[in-house]
Amino acid sequence: MIGILKSMATTMKHALDGETFTVEYPDVAPEVSPRFRGVHKWSQERCIWCRQCENVCPNNTIQIVMDEQRNGEQYNLHIGQCIYCRLCEEVCPTDAILLTQNFEFTADTKDEFAYDKEQLKNVPWYKDIDPLESREPDRGAWIGEGDGEVDYQ
Amino acid sequence: MSLEKPSRDTALDVGVTEDGLDYDALADLLGGHVLDREEHVNAEGFVIRPDEVQEVLSTLKEEAGFDHCACVTAQEYDDRYESIYHLRKFDDPTQELSIIVPSPKDDPHNESAARVYDTADWHEREAYDLVGIDYDDHPDLRRILLPETWQGHPLSQDYNQDQPQIVSLREHANPLEDDKRSEDDPDTMFVNIGPHHPATHGVLHVETVLDGEQIADLEPDIGYLHRCEEQMCQQGTYRHQIMPYPDRWDYISAGILNEWAYARAAEDLADIEVPEYAQVIRTMAAEMCRIASHELALATFALDVFGDFTAVFQYGIRDREIVQNLLEDLTGQRLMFNYLRLGGVAWDLPEPREEYFEKIRDFLDDLPHKLEEIHDLVTGNEIFQMRCVDTGVLSPEQVKQYGATGPVARGSGVDYDIRRDDPYGYYDELDWNVVTEQGGDNFSRVLVRLREVEESARIIEQCVDLLEQWPEDDREIQANVPRTLRPDPDKEIYRSVEGAKGELGIYIRSDGTDKPARFKIRSPCFSNLQTLPEMSQGEYIPDMIASLGSLDIVLGEVDR
Amino acid sequence: MQSAPLPETLANLLGLDPNSTAVMIVLSLVGAGLIGTLMMTNTALAGPWAKRKITAAFTDRIAVDRIGPYGLFIIVADAVRLLSKELIVPEGADRPAWDLAPLIIASTALLGFAVIPMGNGIHLADPEVGLAYVFAVASTTSIGLVMAGYASNNKYSFLGGLRAVAQNLAYEIPLILTGASVVIFAGSLQMSEIVAAQQQSLIGPLPSWYAFVNPFAFVLFMIANLAEVGRNPFDIPEAPTEIVAGYQTEYSSVYFVLIYLGEFIHIFLGGAIIATIFLGGPAGPVLPGIVWFLIKIWGVFLFTQWARSAVPRVRIDQLIEIGWKGMLVLSLANLLLTAVIVGVTV
Repeated sequence: MIGILKSMATTMKHALDGETFTVEYPDVAPEVSPRFRGVHKWSQERCIWCRQCENVCPNNTIQIVMDEQRNGEQYNLHIGQCIYCRLCEEVCPTDAILLTQNFEFTADTKDEFAYDKEQLKNVPWYKDIDPLESREPDRGAWIGEGDGEVDYQ
Repeated sequence: MSLEKPSRDTALDVGVTEDGLDYDALADLLGGHVLDREEHVNAEGFVIRPDEVQEVLSTLKEEAGFDHCACVTAQEYDDRYESIYHLRKFDDPTQELSIIVPSPKDDPHNESAARVYDTADWHEREAYDLVGIDYDDHPDLRRILLPETWQGHPLSQDYNQDQPQIVSLREHANPLEDDKRSEDDPDTMFVNIGPHHPATHGVLHVETVLDGEQIADLEPDIGYLHRCEEQMCQQGTYRHQIMPYPDRWDYISAGILNEWAYARAAEDLADIEVPEYAQVIRTMAAEMCRIASHELALATFALDVFGDFTAVFQYGIRDREIVQNLLEDLTGQRLMFNYLRLGGVAWDLPEPREEYFEKIRDFLDDLPHKLEEIHDLVTGNEIFQMRCVDTGVLSPEQVKQYGATGPVARGSGVDYDIRRDDPYGYYDELDWNVVTEQGGDNFSRVLVRLREVEESARIIEQCVDLLEQWPEDDREIQANVPRTLRPDPDKEIYRSVEGAKGELGIYIRSDGTDKPARFKIRSPCFSNLQTLPEMSQGEYIPDMIASLGSLDIVLGEVDR
Repeated sequence: MQSAPLPETLANLLGLDPNSTAVMIVLSLVGAGLIGTLMMTNTALAGPWAKRKITAAFTDRIAVDRIGPYGLFIIVADAVRLLSKELIVPEGADRPAWDLAPLIIASTALLGFAVIPMGNGIHLADPEVGLAYVFAVASTTSIGLVMAGYASNNKYSFLGGLRAVAQNLAYEIPLILTGASVVIFAGSLQMSEIVAAQQQSLIGPLPSWYAFVNPFAFVLFMIANLAEVGRNPFDIPEAPTEIVAGYQTEYSSVYFVLIYLGEFIHIFLGGAIIATIFLGGPAGPVLPGIVWFLIKIWGVFLFTQWARSAVPRVRIDQLIEIGWKGMLVLSLANLLLTAVIVGVTV
């Protein structure tokens, strides 16, 4: 009986202290950590069309189309299929593709999530956070002086 | 030190010497049964005849003390099929032995091990289902992950992916048709609990035969969430593409623990040394995951016992939220972390470091108070005790027979924890205890989880201290790993870590390319779920629901 | 100062002849409509809104607050949502029984309010067997539950229906026995008499409410009442995590609303009985009687929600055990003791 009363006292304490841990989304925008991985933003100016991101992507989310002279024509990324592993950003030698903190995206059909170049360029920063500043990606550790050949295909 | 293990004397077992297993002695024990010996990275493998499986395994179990059949891996080579029984000991999992059973290509079958190890029942069914090996003398050789009507075995070499899979209702047994399971007991009623049911923790289907409110017979039916995780890993490169997937096996915030299972196996396979600093970060992050996972396990268990969305569930979620925020700061994601890399971790602690340490310390400081509250609310409650004590009892013998691990085993007094018994990461340098309870009932399993949260907090605290004092010029987070990893051909390894639910093991066979030739996941939930019929036979429906909750299964990991 | 029943009050107000049968029939219906509306309004407030807010408070959340002030308009939104859903009739349902069950569940609880004195003259009828009548109609709900469970042609519903019967059988008897101990005190089954008997002062300003006179009976009654209305820890006829939703598994749309409504009215009826026989009915200082009455039944409602937040559900066999071996014995002892004490002192 004492245990039951203790349980009831515990919940009543919570009811009376008036504290809540949920937030009124979307009125209150949640705090997102600087490293958070959201929708990609892509920069045509920086991209050198090395196709490393396309190769590393675990589930073929990125599709790159080039002409015979190896000039980039299309850069498509299906943000609904993406698993947000950030490997593309990690292998990109020029920071051309970045994962923003933006996690709010909606569409009526799945096809609308297949973003092309223009849409990827126009993805907004979330709360104006540029992830590059906060992340300081440790490329030295990643690319390394490993023995394997750099595989640009 | 606390990590000393109180255990029975394994020295009496055949082949045990002071510096590890003497495989020659084991081979002598088996005598002519051993056709050939193979060298795997983790242990030696004995090749035996397909019709002597039971004899060999029972000899090893009885006389050499191999009481834990961790995993059964089946695979197809160009010239043969092969089943590997990964044996180890609950008292010392570093004493391992693989029993390799080849079977002919045209008619693959070998004797079943299910009569020796109960756990082999489901493992062999999975092997039959995915690879297509027939196991003679198996009590119930049916498909387990795929539907009964599936055509072909997807992991066999001649499997035709484009073959249409027509699963018609006519061929598929109609569950509404037959109300009773057995003719001679007309008082029973057959009920499908799940796959859509509020308390099955995912899409689990439990075929239940009720006698009044009591359970006369019960069989879990799994496979609704099968996502071909093993195949996906076989199609990914070691270096990059596999790591995101472990997060998705046990997706209840145990991501880093799962990633570590892959990282450990692949690093040992490719001889990669991980910098100590990275190991400390890994240990800390993994224990955070364990806390988050146990908090949720407790919350959902309370949900099953209390009914409705009660306070305990929300308080559990609230506490887990804090850990998840910490992990988000560290890894950049709340569930699908993809934080570990072969040879280290993706990035260092977030700057400013002091602030991050402060956050962790705040969390650790609040934790005892919060656990106290949970004890007040849950474990101290008489009705809760009435519901959980002596229900869903699992004896230590059953635990070992079914290969149950993790909190389920420790709740039954089986002192088995890979973190201590087969140390990895930084665990053997830290001061912590393995928690066991003797009850074997639902209540003990809850207590084990709650106390493990405390132990994890201790580990995190020590890691934070270490990280804080780590010299600035020695903060190496990744070893130098080649861009393309191609382990030598025909290396085989089975390595396990202590996941949130138990022993999470990975078997990898390399074939010289940058992708594994066979990638097998030993899921703790898969083995743990097998014990459900043992636990709930003759008990009431609510007890079965509670037992299911206390097993803390994640269907994503059961079905993979 | 017993006020006349509601129809007579109305007749006097409107200047009609209280002795004409036709007038009294019409006014009785009007009175019943008034009381029904009052209780339904409370239920509407409790079901979609108050329950959410209360649960949220216990679980550190915010809950509905978007539509209208404090999210109150969620009541309208929910009504529209629920009523506009498709009514799905399961194959093989036992039709008339399946349709009748929600009506029975909702209406029986409402019937009980006919004899409850709510203060300020809101008291539809005051028969001499008031208390017996209330218990009788309240327990008729079980029939609705069994009908719903059996007629749905669903095994979960069936189990839920059976559980409901087993539970009501086990807890109805202690409930009534405990109620009977109050009758011994008051010396009458008439509700107005029971209320009147609680008006004297017990010690100082403390009124002689039977909750103070015999707290043991009060606690017993509260617990048995939780089982009677099927709330935690005795919500096993529904037990969402075990048998999905019990007897109401197959109901949707309007029928679901009726069952849901019925449950809440039932809780309020339980509250009304407790308020009347243990908490002095509409008595209380300063505020008008009806307000006090509503405060008391909302207090009981709050208590059920509080228990729901903190007390685990018992198992069916444990429930039966507590009912027959614990509650029944205790309530019999209570009855005997009360009889002896009253016999000695009076």
